[in-house]
Amino acid sequence: MPANNSDRFSSVVSAVLGVAADQIDDTLSPDSVDTWDSLNQINLVSALEQEFGVTFVVDDLGRYQSVVRLKALLKDHGVAV
Amino acid sequence: MAKSTRPTRKLDFAEAAALLDSVDVAPTIVNIARAAGDLAEHDPSLVQARARLACLASFTFEPLVSAMTLQGLRARLGIEPYVAPFGQFDRELIDATSGLSAFNPDAVLLAIRLQDVCPALYESFNSLAPADAARLVEDWIGRLRSAVSTFRSRCPAAILIQNYNQPETPALGIADRLSPASQCELVSRVNADLAKLAESVENVRVMDYDGLVARHGRRSWEDRRMALYARIPVAPANYWRLAGFYVRHLRPLFGLSKKVLVLDADNTLWGGVVGDVGLDGIALGQDYPGSAFVALQRRALDLYHRGVILCLASKNEPGSVEEVLQKHPAMVLRMEHFAAMRINWAPKPQNVEEMAAELNLGVDSFVFIDDSPVECDLMRKALPQVATVLLPKEPAEYAAALESLDCFDQWQVSSEDRQRGGLYRAEAKRRELQSSTVDMPTFYRQLQMKVVFSVNQPAHVARAAQMTNRTNQFNMHTIRCSEDDIRGFMDGADADVITLALADRFGDNGIVGLAVVKRSPEEWLLHLFLMSCRVLGRTVEQSFVRWIAGRAAAAKARRLVGCFALTPKNKPFAGFYESCGFVPDSCEGKIQRWTRPLHSADTSLPDWIEMRVDDRAEKA
Repeated sequence: MPANNSDRFSSVVSAVLGVAADQIDDTLSPDSVDTWDSLNQINLVSALEQEFGVTFVVDDLGRYQSVVRLKALLKDHGVAV
Repeated sequence: MAKSTRPTRKLDFAEAAALLDSVDVAPTIVNIARAAGDLAEHDPSLVQARARLACLASFTFEPLVSAMTLQGLRARLGIEPYVAPFGQFDRELIDATSGLSAFNPDAVLLAIRLQDVCPALYESFNSLAPADAARLVEDWIGRLRSAVSTFRSRCPAAILIQNYNQPETPALGIADRLSPASQCELVSRVNADLAKLAESVENVRVMDYDGLVARHGRRSWEDRRMALYARIPVAPANYWRLAGFYVRHLRPLFGLSKKVLVLDADNTLWGGVVGDVGLDGIALGQDYPGSAFVALQRRALDLYHRGVILCLASKNEPGSVEEVLQKHPAMVLRMEHFAAMRINWAPKPQNVEEMAAELNLGVDSFVFIDDSPVECDLMRKALPQVATVLLPKEPAEYAAALESLDCFDQWQVSSEDRQRGGLYRAEAKRRELQSSTVDMPTFYRQLQMKVVFSVNQPAHVARAAQMTNRTNQFNMHTIRCSEDDIRGFMDGADADVITLALADRFGDNGIVGLAVVKRSPEEWLLHLFLMSCRVLGRTVEQSFVRWIAGRAAAAKARRLVGCFALTPKNKPFAGFYESCGFVPDSCEGKIQRWTRPLHSADTSLPDWIEMRVDDRAEKA
């Protein structure tokens, strides 16, 4: 079980997008990962909600389409990644 | 582009099964996604049947696909999915050039919500005049009926339609249940109409989606944000449940239902260890904890009465367990309910394998229930094909654990199912007789077998179709048939459907054999030939072929032809044709043709089988 928030975050992104955890960095976005489509965007935010026990508003579900922005979204909900 | 990574090593059967079990315990999006990746390539023996499955939905179905694939693997079904374009279910069903038609499915799921096709019924019910509400519903059912019938005229695939969920909060509030024109009443009526539709079109079945949503709670079933934003009317936490619900309805269509329940004794059928505390010391009776064990036994007996075969596997001295079965006043299950028992100190996987051999059934049709994590773990590792269920720690939860098993489901329950437990028990008595008699002919004569051959008997259609779907082992090439297929053969000018019913001194086995024969002047072809494994090895299967050969010879045909294609489960059939005087003929791909010349062959039946014929072969 990944211990810190950063590892937990990488683990979620890795599982949903099928990208190796050590390849996940802040630059990742739908432009650089071919599995990051609209379906996986929904899966990503749903999975992050489940992992960190947070609830996003509808406006946020599709808007945060990059690793950097998803981390910022989590930070807004009190989860430092 | 970042590269996707998948494990380089394929998981073996036991590892794959363990991974699927772990997803079932915590079916989060992450766990589903990761397992779907890890199992994208899997041990081929994990899959017993494959299904081309078309999913036609009134909502976004794609998020469910990974969960469906995994739930399929848990049921040993390899699902090849086709998800129709969102909301285009009518066109897909009606249009002969649609993606659905090109896909040529084995089964079609219609996941259509009434909210999506008649939104006014849910969103503004009180604004509708009752007559308008009724008309909306009629129009919808009419539309669905014509789409389904049109598709049916072109494709025989099974169609599974989910019924319609009740609103979370009824439109008229507390008055809703009282008013005859209420919202709840109308939804109930549409569901009744849907059931009628399913009855009127062949191979269409209804799935109780409303029951599913109610079971898990209407309020938390949906995630309203996802429903509005992405048209996914199911909360991510429920994807796994919904996928499991769909697969549960597919499982019996592909011959994957389990048949046998193996129960442990100590701390499963009763509380305590009978070897330590004795007959009077075990917990079993009207008060807790004894009442919890009585409740479990009642559930098990109820499964027995719907055709599930019960077995017992206990680490004990045989005498102590048998004493409880025979003498304890609070026992619900008795010796007569168990088709096979192993009360010894041998490892339980070995006992399960022995009982499978004794009952002539594959271990993959077994479910094993035990309170011991150690026994369950051993069974999972040694025999991953067996569905192993660890009982909860709390005995009060036992009965519910048994009740929630969905792997025994069948679409029809026949009178054979209701009697099955007794049939297997009678079979055990036959075996006792066999071990006490000297030679086989004497044994056969003592059985006093009576066979009835029925030709094109309409009353046998349902059982014949069921046999094609249940029989895996003694089956020439495992073609599954619907009732309509069977009726088609019965009505055909050059085909006969022949069923074989068998009774003996221990009881009536009902219909245990099925042949579909295609006749031409020169040659009779066994298009289908299968027998219930329960009755094999008593010369009935050879007699069945000899009788058909006799009919063919009387019709002046020159040869009888049979085919055989090896499937993962039909090894018992190999060698059968040879034992009936067939010789191997041509081979086409995986299908081996066998021929039996008819001119001089002896087609009489052995003297130990009394035979009667119920012939309706005269066709208009």
